[in-house]
Amino acid sequence: MIPLLATRLYAPRMVRRGAEADDDATLARRITACAPALDTSAEAELCRRLAPRIRLYGLKHLRSESAARDLAQDVLVLLLEKLRGGTLRDPAQVASFALGTARQRVLDVQRGERRRERLREAFPADLLPAVEESPEPLDTPRLKRCLAALPERERTVLVMTFYDERPADEVAADLGLTAGNVRVIRHRGLERLRGCMQAAEGTA
Amino acid sequence: MTHPACTTTAEELLAWWLGETDRTEDERLDEHLFACAACAARLDALSALGDAIRRETLRGDFGFVVPAAFVGRMKNAGLTVREYTLAPGGSVNCTIAPGDDFVVAHLHAPLAGVHQLDVLIDDTTIGKLRLNDVPFDPAAGGLTVVPSATFLRSLGISQQRLQLVAVEGPEERVLGDFTFHHTPS
Repeated sequence: MIPLLATRLYAPRMVRRGAEADDDATLARRITACAPALDTSAEAELCRRLAPRIRLYGLKHLRSESAARDLAQDVLVLLLEKLRGGTLRDPAQVASFALGTARQRVLDVQRGERRRERLREAFPADLLPAVEESPEPLDTPRLKRCLAALPERERTVLVMTFYDERPADEVAADLGLTAGNVRVIRHRGLERLRGCMQAAEGTA
Repeated sequence: MTHPACTTTAEELLAWWLGETDRTEDERLDEHLFACAACAARLDALSALGDAIRRETLRGDFGFVVPAAFVGRMKNAGLTVREYTLAPGGSVNCTIAPGDDFVVAHLHAPLAGVHQLDVLIDDTTIGKLRLNDVPFDPAAGGLTVVPSATFLRSLGISQQRLQLVAVEGPEERVLGDFTFHHTPS
């Protein structure tokens, strides 16, 4: 088993400038080339970049923040293990490997398998790389004002879309519209909402 | 890093997120998101915005118009919804109780053939306002209005009159008047 560094070593402040400038494949090659020693800055930067992507994939397919975070940690553990062991054939394919692992892991979860528990046994929780928090919460009072200022049609479509994350065809069926029409209204509503939020930011 | 030839739009990302894409597109965007940090960040922001819209909706700080089926989903999700159903010309004594999450008004009116529907509100507390071009299903035979629960809780004894108006070019046709006599709980 390859020992993993403590969470604190992956904190963004520990990442040196060189790692930030490298692309994903270069970071992967650095980790492999450095083994058995650890290139902590490359590992931290790669985790910082990939964790949000894996988390989003997990959120989309598992619809659970905690499951998505678990997925990100599991995939990163496997990825670092592969890179440190030099068993990832082409480090340029680091994103593809992460996606492939995430896909498999989601299937495992969906099938009710508990692969995560085995990983947890192999990698104690306090040794896992940190998964970054999601972005700062939005300014709630501002969002409320911007939502209230939307045209009725756009507010309705956004509420119906995001209340329980429904696709356009389902929203359309309830409103007697076409899915294409709902997508147009949704797009306009989101653009107007973003514009309102940014304008409010500029005047804050 | 940002994918060098990234042309993915926010609409494509949202479609992927909401499960609107077919399998081929789904897999293409899966791969793209893992390779393109910019798109992952955009999707993250979009997801956060969607979460915030949901939270604000549940908080009841703003009103909205929805199809009646949506109210069913709110109730199925465990929300306590107080409902009032009115025919044109109808009036009702109404309130919002401490345990209510939302109050909704189902306003029946003949909507067949209507292209634009406006709602005129005359409230003894806040005065007059007009909701232009509200979304509706002409086959539904009515409109469901969800006023801000926060606003309702702030009201004393008051009266609110709603009027559904069909707009046809410069012409307007009243489809129904509905009166709510509100008393605090």
